[in-house]
Amino acid sequence: MIRMLLRVLGRDHARPVRRTVVLTTMTAIVEGLSYALLVPVLRALFGGNPADALPWLIAFGGAVAIYAMLRYVSDLFGFRAGTTLLRGMYHRLGDHLARLPLGWYGTGRVGEVSVLASQGVLETMGVIAHLLAPYISAFVTPVTIVGVMLALNWQLGLAALVAVPLVAAIQIWTGRSITAGDADRHERDTEATGRVIEFLQAQPVLRAGGRSGQRFTLLDDSLRELQRASRRTVLSVLPGMIGLTLVVQAMFTVLLVLGAYLALGGGIGVAEVLTILVLAARCADPVLSLADIGGKLRAARAELARLDAVLRTEPLPEAPEPIQPAGHGLRMESVAFRHGDRTVFDDLSLSVPEGRRLAVVGPSGAGKSTLLQLLARFHDVDAGTVRVGGVDVRAIGTEELMARIAIVFQDVYLFDGTIEDNVRLGRPEATEAELRTAASAARLDEVIERLPGGWAADVGEGGTLLSGGERQRVSIARALLKDAPIVLLDEVTSALDPVNEAAVHAGIERLMAGRTVVMVAHRMRTVQRADRIAFLDGGRIVEEGRHDELLRRGGRYADFWNASLTPAAHD
Amino acid sequence: MTTTDFAPTREQSPPSPDADDAAGQSVAGLLRPYRWSFAAVVGSQVIGAVAGLAPLLAVVELGRGLLAPRPIDHDHVWFVVIAGAVGLLVRLLFTATSSGLGHLLDGRVQLALRRHLAARLGRVPIGWFSRRRTGELTKVVGQDVSAVHPFIAHAPGELIAAFVVPVLSLVYLFAIDWRLTLITLIPVVLALAHVPLMMTPTRLREEKQFDAAMGQIADSVVEFVQGISVVKVFGGSRRAHRKFRTATDDFVGIYHRFVRGLSVIAAGMQLVLSPPFVLLTVLIGGTILITAGGLPPADLLPFLLLGLGLTAPVEALIAHSFDDLQAARRAVGRIRDVLEVAPLPEPAHPIAPQGHRVELRDVRFGYEDGREVLRGIDLTLEPGTVTAIVGPSGSGKSTLVQLLPRFFDPTHGSVTLGGVDLRDLSGRDLYRMVSFVFQDVRLLRASVADNIALAVPHADLDAVMHAARTANIHDRILDLPRGYDTVLGQEAGLSGGEAQRISLARALLAATPVLVLDEATAFADPQTEQAVRRALTALEGDRTILVIAHRLETVADADTVVMLDNGSIVEQGRPADLLAENGKFAAFWQSEEYR
Repeated sequence: MIRMLLRVLGRDHARPVRRTVVLTTMTAIVEGLSYALLVPVLRALFGGNPADALPWLIAFGGAVAIYAMLRYVSDLFGFRAGTTLLRGMYHRLGDHLARLPLGWYGTGRVGEVSVLASQGVLETMGVIAHLLAPYISAFVTPVTIVGVMLALNWQLGLAALVAVPLVAAIQIWTGRSITAGDADRHERDTEATGRVIEFLQAQPVLRAGGRSGQRFTLLDDSLRELQRASRRTVLSVLPGMIGLTLVVQAMFTVLLVLGAYLALGGGIGVAEVLTILVLAARCADPVLSLADIGGKLRAARAELARLDAVLRTEPLPEAPEPIQPAGHGLRMESVAFRHGDRTVFDDLSLSVPEGRRLAVVGPSGAGKSTLLQLLARFHDVDAGTVRVGGVDVRAIGTEELMARIAIVFQDVYLFDGTIEDNVRLGRPEATEAELRTAASAARLDEVIERLPGGWAADVGEGGTLLSGGERQRVSIARALLKDAPIVLLDEVTSALDPVNEAAVHAGIERLMAGRTVVMVAHRMRTVQRADRIAFLDGGRIVEEGRHDELLRRGGRYADFWNASLTPAAHD
Repeated sequence: MTTTDFAPTREQSPPSPDADDAAGQSVAGLLRPYRWSFAAVVGSQVIGAVAGLAPLLAVVELGRGLLAPRPIDHDHVWFVVIAGAVGLLVRLLFTATSSGLGHLLDGRVQLALRRHLAARLGRVPIGWFSRRRTGELTKVVGQDVSAVHPFIAHAPGELIAAFVVPVLSLVYLFAIDWRLTLITLIPVVLALAHVPLMMTPTRLREEKQFDAAMGQIADSVVEFVQGISVVKVFGGSRRAHRKFRTATDDFVGIYHRFVRGLSVIAAGMQLVLSPPFVLLTVLIGGTILITAGGLPPADLLPFLLLGLGLTAPVEALIAHSFDDLQAARRAVGRIRDVLEVAPLPEPAHPIAPQGHRVELRDVRFGYEDGREVLRGIDLTLEPGTVTAIVGPSGSGKSTLVQLLPRFFDPTHGSVTLGGVDLRDLSGRDLYRMVSFVFQDVRLLRASVADNIALAVPHADLDAVMHAARTANIHDRILDLPRGYDTVLGQEAGLSGGEAQRISLARALLAATPVLVLDEATAFADPQTEQAVRRALTALEGDRTILVIAHRLETVADADTVVMLDNGSIVEQGRPADLLAENGKFAAFWQSEEYR
């Protein structure tokens, strides 16, 4: 656990943690040793000479003072370590996230990482900072006390010593069974969370099907599964907890019986036996708390493991000496790319000369969007090369590459802010006039006019306060403002009503003028205007050529084209 | 902003018995069925804790026996030892029972809470969702319910035990020597003196800053993680990264200040409660009283043994009330907020509709006060006709069609189906009559067949396939790894257009007399376009169809066209007539240079 923590923290931040661990251990040892002074104090008090207790009492007072000081210092260090941990963790995570490939940020991951990067870090570090010290002292203090007992009376000491390996064994065994249970529970938890999200988002459909609330069995089943999993966890934890209590109490009972036996036989002084019993009583609670603290630490460990997994993901390598691309042509040479265990492309080649337009057409799942993502280096290819301006994208600096490319996605993500903020993202230093020009070229001006607040109108989380077409216009204005020489369009005009589609088309036309363009399109009307068309299926280009050429050839593309026309012709 | 705003003009019908169980029901009410199990958990916890005193008292008695001047009474010593051992056994049994019961009870309570939340969320107006983030609600059903755990399984028993045991100990100690008892209480008093220092206005202000700083991080994460592709492509990644770093540095700074202020107090508090300090206090007091006050030495023992336990309540208070319990209380608050949302009122005496003519009478609607989206719509949809709605974006088309499946209730006026106001129809009747295909398609992680048969759970596979064929998705389904049994989102994913065709098949299978359709759906790909057009022609008979039309063909085929602008109907009539009239409708279509 500590090893994983140190790895997650990295070399720089590990030192304060080590120091805290050492200090806490020392404090716990001093506490345990100070109790040895109880024997002479009690001997004097019980022996009829209370005045003799004074020097020993002063010595005990001194020991408590040292303990107090050490404890304060180690608390302070612990707190500083906590802050360092927190800052270090945030910085490491932030730096790492900034370097991860864009392709890594899949839809499922974004939510998890957002939580991890905000509260996850705080909770993990907080638990560790707060619980590490109690955990160490709950173990070290009793062990030291057992040492003190051994020094006072070997029989009683030995009896107590037997408990130490038993406690350790139970602790380890419980830990294992809980970890297994937790993994199971976590899985059910994720499953149930997924069902809850589905349940919420599918409300309209579910209601139409008359399946709201309890009647939605998919959700109810997963909730019940979750309860079963947590019951299993409880039942798996219980033996360990009972075992731990049993060992501790058995030890106390043995000490009580053995102590009474020895004392009755005169084999041990009354002060010694009573001190040992007082100390044994003192040991019980911290040892019992081990189970509880251990459980909390394990929960933090799971979160820590998630952090570790993110930090261990390889970022995209940056070119040590970036090369400037010459021109804005695009080229893919014998590209192979796998996503997970699925081969998306195998030996794919294509080229788009500077200033030309390529349209990529094909059935769903042919890899059209992936093709765009490879051009923008969201992922690195597994074989072959992707070239921009004749240079391998891996040899171009990320910022340099991004500066040359404008992408308009199918799903437009807008930040919770004003329309102006979102458009300005394209070029933050743009002048007022440039902003207006881009907006009117994208026909965003009519949207702005209609919205209360105009340019200052809020777009809502993810842009939900705007319609799909309106969001699309914002993203086109953004791309226009950026004025990049290469434009990638991903199914921009799907799912738009004609009013918006006409507007978006007008904007797209302006955006494409004089630039190198690769567009993925469903609407065949858009495709017609491309210089070349590539028909993609099964990760390969099966047909390529001009619109009329392909139509004449009567192949896959022609089928596609006709399918889009049939109903209209039929009417 | 509650749902009652949606229906201020009407008397709200008295809640049906079904609605009653959740209406305004408090979390405490939900817990009532569990009160006996709850009492058992707390009871055995307390018995176990009190039994835990037996071994300590055994040590005390053993000490007295051993220190007694007369010859030692062996039988008494062994009796005491056995009593102590029995006490330990009782403690073990009862604590284990309490803990086991408590956690099992916790599981049941959590399940009950989640079910109630789901039931409530399944009945609140759809409009309520549009103002909330899915993540927020998911958190309520998931994490927030889990956060109640200490309330159920730990806190009550442990807190009560932490007070009962010290009180019993105190009574016992007072009976032995009141002076030493007071001295033994010194650490507790010192610790309690620290408590007000933790609640100063500065602390509270820092706590607020702390929350605000966390919010800043969450905000920067949105840009840094959720929008990373946009941010990177537009070269803003350095800025987003910087923003995240600044937010986290600020947060750590505030955290530092917050904890530093607290750490000195907390350290002091924990020090006075620590066993060495308590023992030192008792020993000093004991030595003085034995030397000068005539305290029998053997009487010191109970103070050494029980004195340590007196600090328990304060420690329990620290352990629970400041972290977990605060979090649990906030979580319960959020759960209650959701449970208290008024559901879309169900009629007390549902009326059965006669036929399926749909009438909208002077319908007004706004998502928020003072901003009406629909401004007085009067419209009749005759059975056996297709009504096409057209209009510029923002004119209220989507809102209008969403009133039919009762996603919202109109703020004024009424929507009737078969002569009955939608608010007087039972939910079951309504959805048996109305189905819809909207742009926002949600597929469930379930088999394709289940997805299509969502509204008709007992439909046979032939009917499902027939619907899929009409919706032009049958062949695609057969291509999936396990055909109609393929679990979507797990074994296979569908493209947007394909998902829309599934949704179309869903509506076709439901075969309701009223169908509401958003034709924008059709624009995903050529196959979907074809499917929608085929479906519209296939739906013969006397269905009532309302479609948001985007293509001139659809409009031309419709019986009635309704031109909407700015929330009002500006033109209405047969399509050919309207085009001929050369009014707003004609101008609208020509201006869009669309085919």
